[in-house]
Amino acid sequence: MTTSEITAGGKPFVHYHAAHCETGVTAALFRDRGLEISEPMIFGIGSGIFFGHFPFIKFVGLPITTYRAQPGAIFRKAAKRLDGKFVMRHFRNSGKGMEEMLRVLRSGQIVGLTTNIYWLSYVPNRFRFQFNGHNIVVLREIENGFRVSDPVLDRPMDCSTEDLIRARFARGPLEPRGFMYYPVSVNLRPDIRKACIRGMLDTSNLMLRIPIPIIGIRSIRFLAKRIIKIEQKMGFDEACRQLGMIVRMQEEVGTGGAGFRYMYAAFLQEAADLFGSHDLQTLSQEMTAIGDTWREFAVVVARIIKKRGKQGESFRQAGGLMLICAGKEEELYKNLRNVAGRLKP
Amino acid sequence: MKASEVPQDNTIDYYEGIKRACYAVNDEGKYVIVPSSGWTEEEFINRLAVDELAVHVEKTRKAVLAGEKSPLAYHMERRQMIPKILGKTAGIAVFRVKRHLRPEIFIKLKDSLLERYAKALAVGTQELKTVPQK
Repeated sequence: MTTSEITAGGKPFVHYHAAHCETGVTAALFRDRGLEISEPMIFGIGSGIFFGHFPFIKFVGLPITTYRAQPGAIFRKAAKRLDGKFVMRHFRNSGKGMEEMLRVLRSGQIVGLTTNIYWLSYVPNRFRFQFNGHNIVVLREIENGFRVSDPVLDRPMDCSTEDLIRARFARGPLEPRGFMYYPVSVNLRPDIRKACIRGMLDTSNLMLRIPIPIIGIRSIRFLAKRIIKIEQKMGFDEACRQLGMIVRMQEEVGTGGAGFRYMYAAFLQEAADLFGSHDLQTLSQEMTAIGDTWREFAVVVARIIKKRGKQGESFRQAGGLMLICAGKEEELYKNLRNVAGRLKP
Repeated sequence: MKASEVPQDNTIDYYEGIKRACYAVNDEGKYVIVPSSGWTEEEFINRLAVDELAVHVEKTRKAVLAGEKSPLAYHMERRQMIPKILGKTAGIAVFRVKRHLRPEIFIKLKDSLLERYAKALAVGTQELKTVPQK
């Protein structure tokens, strides 16, 4: 779904509804400069897909599980691989940060910002958590605020100046420190084929080759085995809280479904058309199947919690589904490495 | 996931009328973005987390009314903060923030300090000294 808008420079801006904030913003900045590129393409080129389980980093008292690369990494990698020069700035002083943003907006350039989602009052209440990695695009000034395009929402929104200052300069873990970014020059004929190959190889290395059990395939296995034994270890209620958190990370935080797996399948499909490669097409279908399994995992977890573990579904089953995902994904990234290595840039 | 299988469970009060994008395969086997109006399973799990926070805030509110905690504790939790984040936002050392969560110490705070807390928490200074009765 798309909505038309205008930027401060009077240029038309098309708001695309995206699944994820960071890829949506990066794609919007490239599109504004005239390079037509889709969200899954940015996601793939920036090596966005990932898995990590960090038992020792806690968020509201629960260990963090992530299905994507760390905030900011997708943007930086995609910008580098697509040969776009970006200005990236942090600010210590909120006044200076807002001034600089205004200056850039008045010059007719849209600006990407990293914000704290809790302070953006146009976001539905249920999604407002103290999370410092939400990305938005500012289009232009309006009375008492700014017109912003939040890719996760289906239309552009208004944001008051006060909210925006709070959101940009929120404190806490991963604080944004007024982070803003905008393109200076974008290569309108980038080597997309080479960028795709680099993205794919980087992804399979990240998922397969890091020999610690909190990153990549090893991490999925590690977590799956923990889930199987979780009830004996910490009791039913705590186990439910932890599993709930995993599923929220998978389905809720703007993933496009199944913890970004569908989005990556969309990337593989687009890359398959670009290279005319049948192998990539097959991999895309396999990725869709993996996404379906992740989805099933979410359903099983929801049922465990709803029925208080009385009927059928058990933690063993949930962990088992995750082990299946791990096996399938390992196979997929190995194949991806072979296929990507043979593609001609 | 096929485009026709994208959940459309219409959890309206939950999304506040905003749809979210899902990637799904259409009839020709191509990936497209399908706006979803909600998925009950996901809503259920998110509701658990939201309710848990609400229960926590409610518990703190009662503790404040009973005189066990200061109103600052309530306003801090309402903003989903912890002393560390609040301390950084207001520019006050964490150990002082923790002390200020005790009612007998909070009541003696200077106005200048209260203003800093009020600004950090985006509430009025008068509001900061009280909690809602229900």
